[in-house]
Parts: sequence; structure tokens; C-alpha cells
Amino acid sequence: MAKYVLKRFIISLLTVWVLVTAVFILVRILPGDPFSSEKMTPEIKTNMMKYYGFDKPLPVQYGRYIMNLLKGDLGTSLKYHNMKVNDIIAQTFPYSADLGIRALLFAVIAGLCLGINAALNMGRFWDYFCIILAIIGVSVPDFILGSLLQYVFALQLKWLPVARWMGFKYTILPVFGLSLYTVALITRLMRVSMLEVINQDYITTAEAKGLSTFEVVWRHQIRNAILPIVTVMGPITAAVLTGTFVIEMIFAVPGMGKFYVQGIHDLDYSLILGMTVFYGVFLVAANFIVDIIYGLVDPRIRIMGK
Amino acid sequence: MRKRHLTLLAMLLIAIMISSMLTGCGPKEQQTAAPEANTEKAAEAQNTLTFTLASVPSIDPQLSNSIPSFNVIKGFSEGLIRNFEGQVKPGMAEKWDVSEDGTTYTFHLRDTKWSDGSPVTAKDFEYGIIRLLDPKNAASYSFAAYIIQNAAEFNSGKITDPSQVGVKAIDDKTLEIKILNPTSYFVSTLDLPCFYPVKKEFVEKNGIDFAASADKILSNGPFVIKDWKHEQEIVFEKNPEYWDKDSIKLDAVKILLVSDPNTALAMFENGEIDFCDIPTALVEKYQQEGTAKVYMSGADDWMRINFKRTEKPWLQNVNFRKALNYAIDREDYVKTATKGLFFPATRLVLPLMAGVNGYYCDEYPINIYPTKADTAKAKEYLDKAMKELNITDPKQIVVEYTISDDDATKLMAEVLQDQINTNLGISFEIKMVTYKQKLENDTKGDFDLVYNGWGPDYNDPMTYMELWETTNSQNGGKYSNPEFDKLVAAARVEKDKTKRMEMFHKAETILLEDAGFVPLQFRQRAWLSKDNLKNLARFFIGADTDYVYAYFE
Repeated sequence: MAKYVLKRFIISLLTVWVLVTAVFILVRILPGDPFSSEKMTPEIKTNMMKYYGFDKPLPVQYGRYIMNLLKGDLGTSLKYHNMKVNDIIAQTFPYSADLGIRALLFAVIAGLCLGINAALNMGRFWDYFCIILAIIGVSVPDFILGSLLQYVFALQLKWLPVARWMGFKYTILPVFGLSLYTVALITRLMRVSMLEVINQDYITTAEAKGLSTFEVVWRHQIRNAILPIVTVMGPITAAVLTGTFVIEMIFAVPGMGKFYVQGIHDLDYSLILGMTVFYGVFLVAANFIVDIIYGLVDPRIRIMGK
Repeated sequence: MRKRHLTLLAMLLIAIMISSMLTGCGPKEQQTAAPEANTEKAAEAQNTLTFTLASVPSIDPQLSNSIPSFNVIKGFSEGLIRNFEGQVKPGMAEKWDVSEDGTTYTFHLRDTKWSDGSPVTAKDFEYGIIRLLDPKNAASYSFAAYIIQNAAEFNSGKITDPSQVGVKAIDDKTLEIKILNPTSYFVSTLDLPCFYPVKKEFVEKNGIDFAASADKILSNGPFVIKDWKHEQEIVFEKNPEYWDKDSIKLDAVKILLVSDPNTALAMFENGEIDFCDIPTALVEKYQQEGTAKVYMSGADDWMRINFKRTEKPWLQNVNFRKALNYAIDREDYVKTATKGLFFPATRLVLPLMAGVNGYYCDEYPINIYPTKADTAKAKEYLDKAMKELNITDPKQIVVEYTISDDDATKLMAEVLQDQINTNLGISFEIKMVTYKQKLENDTKGDFDLVYNGWGPDYNDPMTYMELWETTNSQNGGKYSNPEFDKLVAAARVEKDKTKRMEMFHKAETILLEDAGFVPLQFRQRAWLSKDNLKNLARFFIGADTDYVYAYFE
């Protein structure tokens, strides 16, 4: 087992290294440079290149970046002058994570409930209701949904605040806006999965044993049907946590998404790299943990991994 | 058995998520929610101005280079003077003298204090300007100080001794600045935040963290920074130590960081903020309602022509360039592409630029190109050009117009494309690239035509004129006319106001007769404000919003 863990760990490290190197090279290939602006003069640009060490050959810059990275230093943003990328992430990630986790949790709970409900009422009102909701959720883009929610619930009905992130009632609209897509996704998955389980022999057995409907549904159907959802939770978590940009913009949530998108627009090398490394490490770590858990649960994976 | 394990695992994961959310988010929410209610009420009781900015990348006076940053810095700090709507008022300097030859300025500072209680001295100004110019600090706004003697040389590393730069603290209260040429607008530019004072000991003590948070910056302006939550809000409180505190009517200013202009507008509609800009798509609606106010934001946009593209000889043909200028229906263009918000431009200099007594453009009108298209003239010039170039089919004339890849710019370019292709019958093509790529193409001269513009740095036609000098680094299309260069160079050293403006007038006429570029538009911005909000200035140079003297009726 130790060997398996070690192997996974080394693979994870390698993945991060490949990611850093690839992004480092890719941002440099992008046309333009981070300091160009309408008012830039060649002399001032030379000063800025020197200040940030971009006048050195690329391999030297790369070496320096990796050395700093090993110390956990992601460098200084080129646009936000006195801001270290570490600080930007430390300040903004909690908000994105807060929004993301809330949205994820809401999506899982709502999605499971709706999916189960739809399956149990197949062909009846609740089924169609859930299907329609799922279609809307998957097909309406988040910037339209976000603006619509804001217009209806904040501007017209005045039930909830327009924007910003100041307390529970401020979180409702962004969380709903961010999660609807995932709700729809989980609803559909759960519905299909439930329908499959319902037709299994062991359900008939359970019913024949004389178990109550509740017990059949809870202990035999849901528990088995939920497995595919667990499998997709990884990618869904990643999508929700990294896909907060539009909703953060519309509801003025002080999260990380804006910096990522703006960083690319401004060619803020250190910011783009720092954010990518952060997300990358996040996902690689999540995969590493999942791999370990799989190894624990399923000896076959462990053996094959040798 | 395995299935059972996995099921348990699933339940466990969900439980972990729920608990992590409850522990992770629960307490923080309570912390922020409770005091917020109090401060919000308290703020309402006082008279607080609330508005939004998209993003404040820095509040370091010397290193910041964006307009939202300037808006913030002007609130908590102050330079030698204060420029309110173009009117120069004394600031940290009580008064100043100018030498006979117009190149030495002596500023006499008043007794004022930093927010840490120490006095603001001439040394702080000297240090600020040297800090701006020191190549080690790589300040992108250093060009604004190039008018000071030896400033450009020090900034580009040609000289290394800062004491040779023409700025000197004679004593604690006297600052001397020596400039290259007598320049009437020099004093008004000193309100750019890059000229603001900073205290050496404080900057050096904080190092890279200087100006990174509310406790790492000193105030000497109308307000002090009470709180700065990055990407959320900046809260100013009136500075009781400010020398002119009687002119400041607001008790507090609250700047909320909201990057989506539509959200800002929704917040205004909801009464949460006191004024906001209107996104272009919605301007029409508010203009119909009669609530929209419009001001010229200073940006002046044009098509830059590449004079060095030898493989496209028509670009070097004056008649072809004139044909382009006549073929565009600028009135129709701003109506279609900007819902009539922008102002059609037929010349270089912004209508708001100061002339001898009033506006330069009023005093020196130029009517070379019409605002409506003149298709007859356009055709005439095109025919001439084709004859000179030995071209029989206008379709052979291919020009590529490079623009950045945002929707608004794309729409504008498409309207122009339609007009030009209809009126001239040439092959006018649009090339969309990223914003950064466009800038690079522009500087490297890799384009036929490129969408480009300029916001003024000071209130004088020179800010636009010098862009077209042969040697100017902004002149990416390499327009060059010795006559034009001579006039601009002469205007630079001319002391007589009228003569200077006449030189500008001549130079601008030459540039337009050469059809050295294709003027398109002067940008305007539409905005809304609460009815009882008074004396809030929107300006076209530097900071675009001056709220310092604003008050509620």
C-alpha cells in the first residue's frame, strides 16, 4: 500500500510540474506583453521589464520561478502593484470557496431530491416538472440567469439584496444562480440511475420480503442509485469552484474568478500562473485523495498499480 | 460488500461537506452580519457619499496608473495644487512663484500634517517625484514628469544621480521645480497622483507592502482611509486635520468595488449608491426618460494609418487617405454603433481643450472633413488615387482594419466597414485580435489601419499634437511631415499663448490635409446621479470623478 501511495504521490507532483511548465511557456507565447498600454513608452517598458526580471533569458526566469514556487512564493502581480499573488489568492479564494461550497451543497441536496422525486413519480406531474426544470437549468447560460434573478428578486420584488457578499441573505441569489446548472445535471443523473435500480431483481426481492416502501426506497434504491453521483462529484466540484466568474461579477462577490479572467486579459503572467498552479494543485490533490480512497476500497486497483 | 463500503463512503463525503460548510462559513457570516447593520445605519445618519468603482489595482500615488486608482488617491491625499474641473486651486502649496523665463517654479507649502501627525514637507514632494522617476521603481506614469529637467534622462538610466533632476526641497516649506520649457499648463498637471507627496521613512519602512492596505498608507487629503477591504469596499472619513476642511461637506465616502456596470446600475436603481455610469446598451432608455447626463470623457478615437506598408501603396497615397475620410458618415456611425452617445470627430483635438481664452476648437475651427459622408468627393479622390496607382478595379485595394476583440469595438468596426465598402467599393476587412496583441501590432507597425485613441494628460492641444511627431514613440504608423514637426517643436517653446495656438492650428490643419489619420469620435459617457447630490464633477483629464467638494441638498 505504501508503495502505491508513493507512486500516486510522485505522479501528482509530476502532473503539477508539467502543468506549471506548460502554462509558463503558453503565457509567454501569447502575443503582446503585460506592460503594453496606450501610454507606454519604450524607456518605461524597459524599466518595467527589468523590475520584474523579464529582461533575463527565459530559462533563467523559469528556474527562478520554480525556485520561488518551491518556497511557496507565487510572485507579485504585474497589474496589482503591491499585491503578492499569494495574498490575492488568500484574500479572494475564501469567497469563491464559500460561494462554491454553498452552491455545491445546494445542488447536491436539491438535485438528489428532485431526481428521486422524478423517478418515483415517473410519467406524472413531478416527473415532468423536474425534467422541465432540468432542461431550463442546463440550457440557460449563467449570465442570463444571474441578471434575471437579480432583476426579479432584488430590483422588482425587493426581497433580496442586488449584489455584494455581506451576510446570509446576500448569498441566496448567487448560490442559486451558480448551482442551477448542477442541480439540473444531478437531477437528470439521479433520475436515470433510480429508474435503473427500481427495475433490478433485488428490489423485487426486497418488496417480496415485505419491507415497507420507505425501507425499500431508502435502503435499497437510493443507496444504490447514488453511486454514479459520487463518481461525478469530483468533476462537478471542480466545475463549480472554478466556474464562479460570471456569477461573481454579476453579484459583486469579491472572489477569485475576476482575477483569473482579468489576469488573462492583462497578460499578468504571475497572476495567471499563480492561479493556475493553485487550481491545479487543488485538483491534483483531490485526485490523489480519491486515488488513495479507491485503493483502500478496491484491492484490484492497488494490485494493478504495482 | 464493496458496494456497501462505497455507499458508506458517499454518505461520509456528504457529511464532511455539510459539516465543513457549517463550520467554515457559519461563524464568519455572523461576524460580518452584525456590525454591518450598525455601520450601515450609522453611515446613513451621517452624510455619506456611496458609489462604485470597477477595480482599484493600487493606491500607491507613484505606481498607480488607472483612473479608478486616481479617483481614490485624490480623496485621501493631495498634491501641491487641486484641479477642480480644470480650475487650479491651491493645495498643499499655499502659493507659488514662476521665474522670469517661465522655467523655475517655487512652491511655498502650508503647515499641514500627515495622518500620523508628522508635518508634510517639501522633502516629501521631492522624494515622491524622484521615486516616480527612479528606474528601479519602474513607474509606468513616469512620462508625466518628463517635462522636469533631467527627468527623462534619469528615468531612462542616462544619468544616475537623482540630485541632477530639476526638483529640490530648498527647506521644509519650499519646493523648487525646474522644467524644460515655459509651459502654461504645467501647474495644472501637478494634480496627477504621481506628483503627490509620500513620506520617505514610511515608504521605506513598509517596503513592498507600502500602500497595500489601509494601515500602510498615510493621508494628507480631505479624507482619511478608515477601512479598505480589498475587492469589497474602501471607506473614507472626513479628515479633521485637513487644511481646507470647511470646504468638505461630506462626512464619509464609501467606495464599493463592483466590476459589472449593469450591477452598479441595478444598485443605483435600488437606491444603494448615489451615482453611476450607464452601460452603452441602456443609454437610450435613460435618455428617453430624461434622467441621463452626458459628459465628454476625454478619449479621442481614430484609425491610425500605416505609412510604412510598402506592399500596400494606397496607404501612402494622400488621395486614397482622403477618400477614406470622406467616405465615412461619422454622424450615422455614432448613431448606429454607439446609440448616439459618442460625438462624431472630424479633427484631432478634443473640443474641451483650452485655447487662448476659451476652447481651442471654437477659437480655431477646422472644416476639412464633414460629419456626414461626402460620397461624391470620396469617389473623386478614390479615382485620382487609382489613376496614380494604376489600379482599375477598386476591389484590388485591400485594407485590413485591426481592432481588439470586444463586442462594442466590433460593432463600430462593422459599421465603418459597411460605409466604406458601400461608398468606395474597396475591400475593407476587419482583423480582430486580443487587446494586448492590438497594442503590440500598433507599436511594431504591423497593421494597415488600427483602431487607436488617446486620453489627454493635461489641458492643452499639445497632448494630442505631439503624438504625430516623427520621433514620438506613440506614432506607430510613422506619419511624418517636417512642416508639422517644425510647428509642434516651435509651439513647445513658444511663450505667447496666441502664437502657440496659431501654430497648433496650422499643424492640425496640415495633419488633416495630409489625411494622416482618420478621425472617428470623441467618447462621451452617460451617467445618473441622485437629484439632491450636488457639486460632483466629472472631468476628462486624470481622475474622472471629483467627489471631494460634493454635498447633499
